[in-house]
Amino acid sequence: MRLRYLALLPLLVLAACKPTAQELKIGVSAPTTGSISATGQSAKNAIALVQDEINAGGGVKVGDKQVKVRFIIEDDEDKPESAATVFQKLINQDKVLAIVGSYTSKCSNAGAPIAEAAGIPVVSPWSTNPNVTKGRKFIFRACFIDPFQGKVVAQFATGKLKAKTAAVVYDVASDYNKGIAEVFRDEFTKMGGKIVGFETYNTKDTDFSAQLTKIKGSNPDVLFLPNYFNEVPLQLQQARKLGLNAVVLGADGWDNPELVKLGGKVMDGAYFSNHYSPDVDAPVAKTFIAKYTTRFGIVPDAAAALTYDSANLILKAVATAGKADSKAIRDALAATTGFPGVTGSITYGGSGDPVKGAVVIKVENGKFVFDSAVNP
Amino acid sequence: MDTIIQQLFNAAQLGAVYALIALGYSMVYGIIRLINFAHGDIFMVGGFVGLLLTTRLGWLPFYLLMPLAMILTALAGVAVERVAYRRLRNAQRMSVVITTLGVGIFLENFVRLTVGPETRQIPARLPSAPVHWLQQNLGAFVTWDKLLIILISLALMAILWLVVNRTLIGTAMRAVADNKDVVPLMGVNLNLIITVTFAIGSALAAAGGIFYGQAYSIDPYMGIDLGWKAFIAAVIGGIGSIEGAVLGSFLLAGVEVITVAYLSSNLKNGIAFGLLILLLLVWPWGIMGKPTLKKV
Repeated sequence: MRLRYLALLPLLVLAACKPTAQELKIGVSAPTTGSISATGQSAKNAIALVQDEINAGGGVKVGDKQVKVRFIIEDDEDKPESAATVFQKLINQDKVLAIVGSYTSKCSNAGAPIAEAAGIPVVSPWSTNPNVTKGRKFIFRACFIDPFQGKVVAQFATGKLKAKTAAVVYDVASDYNKGIAEVFRDEFTKMGGKIVGFETYNTKDTDFSAQLTKIKGSNPDVLFLPNYFNEVPLQLQQARKLGLNAVVLGADGWDNPELVKLGGKVMDGAYFSNHYSPDVDAPVAKTFIAKYTTRFGIVPDAAAALTYDSANLILKAVATAGKADSKAIRDALAATTGFPGVTGSITYGGSGDPVKGAVVIKVENGKFVFDSAVNP
Repeated sequence: MDTIIQQLFNAAQLGAVYALIALGYSMVYGIIRLINFAHGDIFMVGGFVGLLLTTRLGWLPFYLLMPLAMILTALAGVAVERVAYRRLRNAQRMSVVITTLGVGIFLENFVRLTVGPETRQIPARLPSAPVHWLQQNLGAFVTWDKLLIILISLALMAILWLVVNRTLIGTAMRAVADNKDVVPLMGVNLNLIITVTFAIGSALAAAGGIFYGQAYSIDPYMGIDLGWKAFIAAVIGGIGSIEGAVLGSFLLAGVEVITVAYLSSNLKNGIAFGLLILLLLVWPWGIMGKPTLKKV
């Protein structure tokens, strides 16, 4: 009985060996499981959208023929060691031409050196830590960097909120959180403010009450929590339960619907800097938001919008290069000027970091509402 | 200065949760000399059982919900002992320790697959208004849920002390702890005593998990770090001793909170564990532990 199925084996082998030269492979390293799997889900959605859009038109134009595009999504679990494995697998096993990813800066910092050494161009959608692209020729990003973001938040605190004193609680074990906390501290001090508390914790800590109680003693005007959306609501809840009533500020790591799902009312009245707001007017953005919302039934967050931009940046570079060659794609990427992204216009002026503006978003009744835009 | 009292409450809440876990480590070690590394994950399972009951059976009042979650988690703990540990009771020590680690990894992944990997919170069922008396008289902002968590935990520990020291089954437990080979010959059912010990330890861990999920948050991997902390607290106090597990837990939480409050949050784990190493150098058997000599 069972032997009968053996007859199917040659078919399977044929299926596995179907010619792949006709398709162009691009890798994606995203945290589809783990503590920030919600961000990985946004990435998957945006990639599905890009893949269907490009293949509906026959694929990307390489030289004189159209080639279909296949994105290979691998899970890096938001762990640096997994990101390194994923990058290696995508490059050596899947032989991808380019990579979208990774998402958190600590993961990008683990994957980027591997891609750099292999000469595979990378566009990270969401990694804002400066070190990700620093000194590397093949690594690009679609987002602004933390020195700019930290300044935006400090300006907002001293300007609109007229804050004189600020306190920070951040994850010292994560590159992103640490980098932006330090920039904010320096910028806020430069603008005449005073940092009255600068406290740390470690990734996966869940009790922040000792740090927050200490900060409560110095009674700051604003509390800056440059941490990820899965932790911030718990930190803020604990702060409120300890009687710490400062206005709370955050950064782009907050941008996910989970923030208000987990935090509820406690998040109301908080502000954070972000890459884009679904309330923007640009036509590219409007089309993207409409398509995404219809297909997935949820408004795209910044990670989704930046993934969409990153993947399209690569596809455009392939078309410009005119050949399926990683080095040529890298050169075309580096020469990108005025790319009309959902999150704003992207130009690489000699580095992998685009010069882009930021927006400040306010949380109101569980919704993210556009507050103001800041340009560099 | 008013924050010092608040910090003491922070430490007491954390210490209470550590103690509820540490007791399970200590009791099981006391009875069968087994370090059950899956115990931190039983604590995690307790938190998730609490979460499921709170979300699915929302109409249950808290005073029924919590015992129910404790009973269900106790059954899980007993099942783990029955299925995975009992056959290995006379096996090499190392095989059993590896098994406990394996059970822990199984539980983590089981919860991750069935419930999901996200961080969650148990919907608050205890009042979260500040305690007025403390605010007015001591200037400390402490919410009712924090106070209740500390008080209920202490009550559970008191009940445990009474069970172990004032009941027949408790006497049998202490007798088995004293000599596991001879006592069964006197008509004490060894398997029953071990089952009861796992049940009590798991039920207490479940209480810790529910409190933790309300005060902080829960995720499938939380048992690893907290399990280690509680295990260390049990060793500091003197593993095998109930009073020691409680004392070690509050001590560890106190040192952690005080380090953050008066030194630096960067040094929290460094200083806390550095001090504990020093403590063990002075008292190698833990504060309440009894020195044991092994005949060779």
